[in-house]
Amino acid sequence: MRKIFGFLILFLLIGFGLAAVGCDLNDPDRDILRIGTYYTSLSPRITYKTEYLSLTKLGGEKTLRAVEERLGDKFSGLYETIDVPYTLYTLYQGEKIIGYVHGINQKGKYGGLQVFLAYDTRGVIKHFYYQKLTSRKAAELRSAEFAGQFAGLSLQDFLSYAVQTGSGGSAGVQAIQNPSPEDAADFLATLRAVKKNLILMDIFVFNKEGKELP
Amino acid sequence: MNIFQVAYKNLLRRKTRTLFTIAGIMLSTWVLVTLLGFNKGYEQSLNENIEGMGFQIVLTAKGCPYEAATLMLKGGTGLRYMPEALVRDVAGRAEVASATDMLMHAEFDPNKGESGGTIVYLGIDPQTYPEMKPYLQFNQGEWFGADSAAEIVLGYEAAELEQREAGDVMLLPGSDQEFKVTGVLKRTGTQDDGMIFLPLKSAQQIFRKEGLLTMLGLRLKQDADQNIFEEDLYTLPDVQVVSMAQVKNTILSLVASAKIIVLSIAFIAFLIAMFGVLNTVLMSVFERFQEIGILKSIGALPRDVFQMILIETTLLCALGSLAGIIFAYLFSGFSEMVVRYLLPFAPNGSLIIIGWPTIIFAFVSITLVGVIGGVYPSLRAASIRPLDSIRSAE
Repeated sequence: MRKIFGFLILFLLIGFGLAAVGCDLNDPDRDILRIGTYYTSLSPRITYKTEYLSLTKLGGEKTLRAVEERLGDKFSGLYETIDVPYTLYTLYQGEKIIGYVHGINQKGKYGGLQVFLAYDTRGVIKHFYYQKLTSRKAAELRSAEFAGQFAGLSLQDFLSYAVQTGSGGSAGVQAIQNPSPEDAADFLATLRAVKKNLILMDIFVFNKEGKELP
Repeated sequence: MNIFQVAYKNLLRRKTRTLFTIAGIMLSTWVLVTLLGFNKGYEQSLNENIEGMGFQIVLTAKGCPYEAATLMLKGGTGLRYMPEALVRDVAGRAEVASATDMLMHAEFDPNKGESGGTIVYLGIDPQTYPEMKPYLQFNQGEWFGADSAAEIVLGYEAAELEQREAGDVMLLPGSDQEFKVTGVLKRTGTQDDGMIFLPLKSAQQIFRKEGLLTMLGLRLKQDADQNIFEEDLYTLPDVQVVSMAQVKNTILSLVASAKIIVLSIAFIAFLIAMFGVLNTVLMSVFERFQEIGILKSIGALPRDVFQMILIETTLLCALGSLAGIIFAYLFSGFSEMVVRYLLPFAPNGSLIIIGWPTIIFAFVSITLVGVIGGVYPSLRAASIRPLDSIRSAE
């Protein structure tokens, strides 16, 4: 009888394990607290608001075309589609917005990458990290040295970066070192994910369309 | 002008009342049809979900978690194995129509999430497993080429999470070998969506479990007695037998109490319809006390008056129940959404199924119950004495 009840619970659980795949923080309370350490002041405590956005809701095909044009690449494959849900975390200290956290899924060589960026209120990257990564060079890509290279960059730096060739971009972008030069696939996928993340955030929040930051 | 036309015109003379009465009956029918549809839909979805697991009987080593969800909850620990030889003996029995060997394995992936996570793999026999699960269809690609190939097939959500498509390669945690994705399955709504399948022999080799299995899925021949077969399996040492029929019965007995509540509410809907009609028609008879008296004084027989009132009642009930059925059908999607929101656990599939038997039952029963409710007012109307009714106006 016990095994049947066990099975029953599992059977019911299975039906609920089927969430649509966007790119959410695994444990937002814990993750936001940790990301908060990249902002100068931690007091008062950082809180957050979660919003769900999609290109379908924000202009549909027209917006998708605009994103693709700025990205310099087409959305492709089974999973990079117009209706992918994007989760935006807005960080507050008291009543004041201090930044944003946003992640996207990106196809890597051996699996999906989940690339998260924490932004300040002007759209400048404060922190970069992989929530998920499958790579032979996972340890190097997850290193603090690699992540640190993205801090301080913004969409302006990536506008001229060509995701298909891995060339161009500002001096800051060109200075980003691939920790595994013998296999550039996941490194290039990461840069594409960062540029896409920046473009989407520009549409979702900053809406600067590539103009100079104040 | 016949009695039917008189009754019809009587209803049209009091449009507001007629409309409200029809609305009342409509609501009762709506509730009734939706509840009966839910009753049928829930059971059918549950059946489909369990049937969808593909096996009639699952044999596992005693104490072994045989579902991916258990394995995840236990952090990938607690797996136990059966020797292939034992499984061969069971699979070769005369009652067995088909059998499929499986090896489940959980591996900790340090790169899944920030602090790692458990990934569940299922080693399957590409010859027998797809036969047992005919509902598994491919979004892209196909099953593995050989039972020891370095190839994998991904459930839809596993592929979505890993952003894999047919032709891509994957690394399995704990192995440095590259595996080629030969196929991505369509969404099924079962645990298979999150599963990573690989050929049984490859799984046994990679996870160093040669000659071992975690599960044997069985389908019996149509003429085989499942109970006797199961009883026989229970005598095997260190093996647990999970019968899907048993699981289904347990779930259905658990939801039986909910069904009683549902049917009680449906019964209340019946009563509401009956008393609503009784009250409305009775009020209508009292209001038309003099009118009925005059009808009788100019030659209408008690039988004519009885028929007239009963026809009015029947028309009200028929129109109301028809409207209720249409509303129940049109809003079944919305009702299902509400039910899913309110129920903590609901099986996949359509929860509200409104078929012809439900429609006919609701129409006939609500109309019949309404007509029964209309009998007393009709009798009262038939028994009105013309003289009394005319005097009552003075």
